[in-house]
Amino acid sequence: MSTDNQHYVSVRALSKSFEEQHVFENLDFDIAKGEFVTLLGPSGCGKSTLLRCLAGLEQPDTGSISVDGVDITRAKAQKRGIGMVFQSYALFPNMTVTENIAFGLKMQRVAASEIASRVERGVALVELQGNEKKYPHQLSGGQKQRVALARALVTEPRILLLDEPLSALDARIRRSLREQIREIQKDLHLTTVFVTHDQEEAMTISDRIFLMSKGKIVQKATPDEIYLNPINEFAARFIGSYNLLTRDQARDVLGFETTCGLIAVRPESIYIAQDGGLYPPSCSRPVKAVIDSHQLLGNVIRYRARLAGDLFLTVDVMNRSSSRLVEPGAEVSLLFNMAEIRPLSE
Amino acid sequence: MAFGATRSKKLSASTIGHGLLLVPFALFFIVFEIVPMIWVAVTAFFVEETEAWGLGNFVEILGDAFYLQSFTNSLSLSFWSAFIGLLISAFAAASLQKVPGRMREWMVSFTNMTSNFAGVPLAFAFIIILGFNGSLTLLLKQLGIIENFNVYGIQGLFLIYTYFQIPLGLLLLFPAFSALKPEWEEAAFTMGASRLEYWIRVAIPVMLPALLGTLTILFANAMGAYASAYALTVGNYNLVTIRIGQLVVGDIFFQPNMAASLSVLLIIILSFVTAIYRFLLRRSYHAA
Amino acid sequence: MQPKTGAMIYHKTVIILTALILGMPIAATVLYSFATNWGPTILPDGLTLKWFETLLAEPRFLMALGRSLLICFATLLFSTLLVLPMVFAVFYYFPRLKDVMEVIIILPFAVPPVVSSVGLLQLFAGDPVPIVGTPWILIGTYFTITVPFMYRALANGLEGINLKDLIDAAHLLGANTFTAFMRCILPNLNRALLASLFISFSFLMGEFVFANILVGTRFETLQIYLYTKRMTSGHLNAAIVTTYFFLTLALTWAAMYLSRPRTEKPVEDE
Repeated sequence: MSTDNQHYVSVRALSKSFEEQHVFENLDFDIAKGEFVTLLGPSGCGKSTLLRCLAGLEQPDTGSISVDGVDITRAKAQKRGIGMVFQSYALFPNMTVTENIAFGLKMQRVAASEIASRVERGVALVELQGNEKKYPHQLSGGQKQRVALARALVTEPRILLLDEPLSALDARIRRSLREQIREIQKDLHLTTVFVTHDQEEAMTISDRIFLMSKGKIVQKATPDEIYLNPINEFAARFIGSYNLLTRDQARDVLGFETTCGLIAVRPESIYIAQDGGLYPPSCSRPVKAVIDSHQLLGNVIRYRARLAGDLFLTVDVMNRSSSRLVEPGAEVSLLFNMAEIRPLSE
Repeated sequence: MAFGATRSKKLSASTIGHGLLLVPFALFFIVFEIVPMIWVAVTAFFVEETEAWGLGNFVEILGDAFYLQSFTNSLSLSFWSAFIGLLISAFAAASLQKVPGRMREWMVSFTNMTSNFAGVPLAFAFIIILGFNGSLTLLLKQLGIIENFNVYGIQGLFLIYTYFQIPLGLLLLFPAFSALKPEWEEAAFTMGASRLEYWIRVAIPVMLPALLGTLTILFANAMGAYASAYALTVGNYNLVTIRIGQLVVGDIFFQPNMAASLSVLLIIILSFVTAIYRFLLRRSYHAA
Repeated sequence: MQPKTGAMIYHKTVIILTALILGMPIAATVLYSFATNWGPTILPDGLTLKWFETLLAEPRFLMALGRSLLICFATLLFSTLLVLPMVFAVFYYFPRLKDVMEVIIILPFAVPPVVSSVGLLQLFAGDPVPIVGTPWILIGTYFTITVPFMYRALANGLEGINLKDLIDAAHLLGANTFTAFMRCILPNLNRALLASLFISFSFLMGEFVFANILVGTRFETLQIYLYTKRMTSGHLNAAIVTTYFFLTLALTWAAMYLSRPRTEKPVEDE
């Protein structure tokens, strides 16, 4: 019955179409027990549909889904032992916070006294003490989402699914809530699948990211790997603010020869040469450029530099008081860290 | 301050000017809607026989078996037609959410069109199919489902009243059912609820204000109906609206004050029902 | 979530059944109007157009139809002239009256026409305004019937546009309020106005209570005419009803067509 923990959730050859259109095709992946996996991609890439297939709210056309060695592809949503948090919270408007959280336990026919204590623990877990008797319309967005989270967790599910749960919240709440979610997940060692289109979100909380595009999983890797080694142009464009140079541009500007069509250069891999500055030995020879504009992003200054042949590149520099702001129109020399250049195969 | 006084004078003049836009409407609405209402409310308390003011009419109504019967008939007919009509339109509205778009649009159009089919034409249609020689009557008799069916009496009335409640109920409930978010059902499923449990614990409680509100409207609609009943039964069946009409047109008895008193009682009943609805509404949770 | 096939069959069945229930009396009547003879049998003996031919040649029918149309058009014109300025004034000058209006438009529904008739008959039977038995009292009462529909439609239309900003912009560009209303506001309300006119039209064509109690046969509308023929040939009656029904169908369909939401998608920013 039990499998090795690396294949706690196992998906094979999963395909789904809606009215002649493929949503996704032949998806294959495994999720380890207690792992936090994020399905990341632009809208329409199929990530939400994939999540709903895992939940049992959609039926895949072909393929299989197994959890802990048992095939659940055709099992009803009620029987999968899954907790789910929706983007729109989906709190029942006719029930208080307590009643909402207790719902799943009622469905499991848990004894009333135990329901009370588990709900209390759930409320404490998401730090909503004092709000037990409130109705959803009396809560803020962040509070509603925390109730939804507690409601999904009290039933002690095997897997937690979250469908863009933070998209409707404002930035500050989003950051604190996602950290809370990650902490709880780690404490409970809960296998989790998280869907989002926000790459910063995915990078901060995931153990692994499945990057999706047009119904295919483009890359499965840790946040680190995806950032440092995007597998193709789509990945490079989606993660971070990579600079992309064509083969010819790479040759002309950097003297770099490659058979690949594109090379990717991270903004922080380019330096603005300054007198007395220390740069890695793997740097290229200086390349002339003119600074076009700059943006102050807090701890990073993001420059836009124009090179010969009207090539614009993004250059990120740490905002230290010792380095002065370079004004638009200034001529500079750029150094490229050749060890960090990544040719892309597609 | 002098400045302030001038300003407020100016304000007055332009306000009057703007108010003139309201006058024609107000005039005719008051004359044709408000004044008759007040007239009815007042003359209900004038007893013709004694030529004095008082509650004499009401006393007479409450002591007269015939009048009382008109009320019980109306209440019973209105309640049951509203209730059954609500049931049917609720199931239809719930399903209307789930059928494909084209079917849904078609059904909404069709319902809109049939909601206008009421009164005399509807009575005729019912006579055609359910009269003594109507096709449906014959069909049902052949199938042994019914023995005698009198469309001109309470049976026909109940059917015709329920018939015209359905489109109204459907048009009122359809938007209410679309307020049921599919995520609620999905969330309930992931927590182990069956479809029935979802309906009992979440959907119906959420829909309760809309359901009760629609029931109240359907009930009021039936209580005030006149044309269908008149055309179907020619005034032979004892309903409050028929009584009122007969007393004020005066073919046999011309008792306009009694008609007014009956009207006041009718309005009181309707107000009472609406009050109960509002009370129940407040008792249930109130979603934003 | 897509309902599974079994559930979909159930839902479609419910809708079809409901449509059948609602459609049966109509279908039967229409069939009856085209039937040669339909005795105590399930289906009629044959089909014919003779009832419609008889109907169109019957002067009393045509007169009744004419009267109904006349009253309806007159009422709609009258209502528009009264309600349009009122709605504008409420929304632009007296927004606090909006709540009052919400109560007012309930009155024609809360007070059944029979009850209003009690007062109307007494008030207008004799001096000083003896309009009972004339079309004038019908226009007055029919006007009150249209008020909820027209106000609702126009109010919804005005809620959708930013009235104050539009008028202010027009003022700054040199227009007075009347011109601003006629050229900038009214064109945006056209669809809502027309839709409410069509709905009111079909409602008024079917009105019986006021017509029966306040004027009766002294100004015979279509519905009164229909009622008087209750005891005569069912086929002819069916033809009248069918005509009336298709007229209402056309009107309601037109109203719905006008009220459909605009389907053009706004162009997306890059």
